[in-house]
Amino acid sequence: MSLWLCLRFEKLPLQALTRRDKGLITATAILQQQRVLQACDTAASLGIKPGMRVATVRALDESMRLLERDPSLEQQCLKQLCCWAYSISPSLHIYRDNCLLLEIGGCLTLFKGLESLLIQVHSDLSSRGYSYLTGLAETPKAAWLLSHTTDDHQRPLNERLQPLPLRLLDMFPRQLDSLARAGLWQFSDILNLSTQALGRRCGKDMIHFIQQALGTAHDPQPDYSPPPQFRDDYWFGYEVKANQELLPAIQRLLQALCQFLRNTQLQCQQIQWQLYGIQSNLHSLTVASSLAHSNWRQWYQLSQLHIEQLTLDMGVEGISLQCLNLSAGNNHTGDLFNAAEQSEPLHSLLDRLQNRLGLQSVKKIAGRNEHLPEFAGYSSCDNDGNNTVDNNIDKHDDSHAQPSISGAYRPFWLMPEPQQVNQSARGLYWGGGLNIMEGPERIEDNWWLEPVSRDYYVALGQRGQKYWVYRDRLQNRWFIQGIFA
Amino acid sequence: MNAAIDHVMQRQDTWLGRASRAARQGMPTGYHKLDSELHGNGWPLGNTIELLSDGNGLGAMGLFLPAMEQLSQQGRWQVFIAPPYIPYAPLLEARGIDSQQVLLVHPQNRQDLLWSIEQALRSSTCSAVFAWLGNTTFSYSELRKLQLAAAGTDVLSVLFRPRQAGHNHAPAPLRLEMKEYRRLNILKQRGGNQYVDVNLGTEDDIPGQPQLWELPAYAPVQHAQTPAFSA
Repeated sequence: MSLWLCLRFEKLPLQALTRRDKGLITATAILQQQRVLQACDTAASLGIKPGMRVATVRALDESMRLLERDPSLEQQCLKQLCCWAYSISPSLHIYRDNCLLLEIGGCLTLFKGLESLLIQVHSDLSSRGYSYLTGLAETPKAAWLLSHTTDDHQRPLNERLQPLPLRLLDMFPRQLDSLARAGLWQFSDILNLSTQALGRRCGKDMIHFIQQALGTAHDPQPDYSPPPQFRDDYWFGYEVKANQELLPAIQRLLQALCQFLRNTQLQCQQIQWQLYGIQSNLHSLTVASSLAHSNWRQWYQLSQLHIEQLTLDMGVEGISLQCLNLSAGNNHTGDLFNAAEQSEPLHSLLDRLQNRLGLQSVKKIAGRNEHLPEFAGYSSCDNDGNNTVDNNIDKHDDSHAQPSISGAYRPFWLMPEPQQVNQSARGLYWGGGLNIMEGPERIEDNWWLEPVSRDYYVALGQRGQKYWVYRDRLQNRWFIQGIFA
Repeated sequence: MNAAIDHVMQRQDTWLGRASRAARQGMPTGYHKLDSELHGNGWPLGNTIELLSDGNGLGAMGLFLPAMEQLSQQGRWQVFIAPPYIPYAPLLEARGIDSQQVLLVHPQNRQDLLWSIEQALRSSTCSAVFAWLGNTTFSYSELRKLQLAAAGTDVLSVLFRPRQAGHNHAPAPLRLEMKEYRRLNILKQRGGNQYVDVNLGTEDDIPGQPQLWELPAYAPVQHAQTPAFSA
């Protein structure tokens, strides 16, 4: 049996604008067409009522904060709420301009009953700074109608709708007017009438609505589909001056992100933080990971590294998290019985090092099938090397021929740049005299660009160290390029 | 037994008396002479090993190549922190070490250096951590922090330090000094012999593999093709 939950955010015009300054009590009234639309509790206690003129409000309280209603912001809030509600039930839609309708009949088992589902909803929404009213019914329209009253949802729907006033159907003003003239004020008055009799008075549309509410007519609704990007924010409501105080908000946003990623079966490789000050955008941080994943703890660790290094010269009012490039999830199935498989993924260390030390500070080494030693072995900070075309070719080559060094001496350490060795009448000198003990091995290459011709030798240092030196045959100079460790 | 006591007993730096010593097995170094001198017959994993050496080329890295080869099978990172040069990938590949596992980390300052070593040791993604601490002096507590980070893991962790550091105390349970080419001195060994000189011979070299250690018997080359050192 389907069960619909209506979450009606009655105070959305007010809360969309004021939920940022929670804790801060400023009397606020929302205006629409120069009249008060909604007033906060503080303002209401001062006697501000909906429908008042601006002048009246000013007369009552000079310092009243008057804000113009912002419908686009309300829609944005509703979209964020949809994003949140998607983790409760996948079939949901926005109704009118301040309601979410969720089909929860299918997920009661998941939440272990209605009671705990409602508790979850309550704690999530109140931490987001929204107040709301709920309605539960078998059809979405009835759930919306019943959000205007509180009653026991176990009773039959027809019976529960009876006491509701007809003026709730404010989308049919003309019909309500004619019904009122006939002395019909409540649902109980019209539910007992025959459809034909009622239809003559109030037309097809309203009949259809009532039939949908009662579940006797179809009520198809396009389900919400989550956006291709993630964006969420958190407002502190006070000025944050210490970096550490940002962390709880970061954790919450990341959890929301990863919940979203899990719901949508997506992963991301890069996230962006924006810190907002009173007037402007203070900082933006980009946190990257070498592998796409949806694990909030890893994102949290990496973000923490950035936050620790940040110096805040102004207080932070809010923080937002953005994730623009999402990729399809590529979930890894761990091995249940192999403990090593379940430990930390390899890339997490790489990410931590890169995020603190910088991309340039962490490198990998690789070999290529080349003659010149400086090309045969090199280091690069390309952290996802396997994807580059260049490396694919190398891999391909390698399968044919490993860089063959058997029979030849190759050092452990290679200098990034060969260093010149001093030569005098007594011989070679590099931190001590060098004696040639092995060689030469001629390496010639690169004739199509800049010809290189070298004779490589193993040289013995004063204390028994072995160096890899070469004589550049074209320049007739000696260089040291490697050290046998 | 009490879980807390168990935990303490598990630690490598807890002194257990003589009885239960033999239980701790080290990882074979690949050099029989060295294995026989080391307590546990091999490298003590989960401890920091200090290797004191001045200058490269005395064979300090060659000492760990057989270990790197074994650890390569685990498929985890082998991290080089602040290495003096670049490890030559073709050589590693020829020795059966997957060069894709090698990670070079170049911290900019002392604080980042210590941080990176600690991160690498604490994360379970490394099989070996080699760190070059350079000429800077490090306090006992800083080194102790590294030892604690290594404790309880299965990481081969080696700190390369200059020989003069041997004058100061260090928390590492094993300290080796590279005296000459291929000659080691065990400066300190918890639960084992100390002040022993180990000469690493060529008998453990694997035939047919590129050798780093010993080149063919040294005969002063006076070939015709040896160039004259004329300026």
